[in-house]
Amino acid sequence: MMESKSFPGNVDSLDSLREYVGERAQQAGLAKKPTYALKLAVDEIATNIILYGYQEAGLVADFTVLSEITEQALMVILEDIAAPFDPLARELPDSGDLTKSLEDREIGGLGIYLTINGVDEFSYEYLNGKNRNKFVMKIAST
Amino acid sequence: MKVTITDQDEITVVEVSGDIDSKTAPEFERNAKVAMDKSKHIVIDLTDVGFMSSAGLRVLLMVYRNIRSQEGKVVLVGVSEEIQDVMSTTGFINFFTIVEKPEDGVAFLKQD
Repeated sequence: MMESKSFPGNVDSLDSLREYVGERAQQAGLAKKPTYALKLAVDEIATNIILYGYQEAGLVADFTVLSEITEQALMVILEDIAAPFDPLARELPDSGDLTKSLEDREIGGLGIYLTINGVDEFSYEYLNGKNRNKFVMKIAST
Repeated sequence: MKVTITDQDEITVVEVSGDIDSKTAPEFERNAKVAMDKSKHIVIDLTDVGFMSSAGLRVLLMVYRNIRSQEGKVVLVGVSEEIQDVMSTTGFINFFTIVEKPEDGVAFLKQD
């Protein structure tokens, strides 16, 4: 069954957002490390929605977390009503960038890199006037 | 998130507790700057930090650059396994000395 929960689109929500994702991960039986990776991924994408999709655009709105636990996976979707923004469209840091000295490197794109790297599946779509960022964590079979 | 700054001889210790995200990172950054104005030998104690996003990595990057330009040193203390994983994935880990206890950090900085 899909569960839905909304949060105000400001950075004060990040704490409770991570807590909520943590609860869902626990219900799904995710281990500590994948739970952390999912919280990080959701935090990074939510931060982009809040800071750029909403605040920079002068938009005051909520964003919604849809989630579903099946036998195989925990799926989380962040849904927002900001202008279409595909996080996968920008260039990500490659291994050359990530081994560069910290003095020379560009800091952009780290959040999205961590997101994609941390979850089993990440995808984006723009549907019915909403950005939908989808995260999937597979549940290890025991 | 809470930040406490203490001086131990020539070394400034920045102790952070709570989560470092895009809400709290500016406060972490402000305190790190205060600490670097006091001393070029900095210990950042993350023992009580359970979560750090890329907003925190950005502050660490700023600290690293600032300390390098002053020919100072920075040591991180008590970095959780998950945060070390993130630092490793992003290639940050090779540029920082990480120790377990604050006293190890102070001892490291007193070596020279």
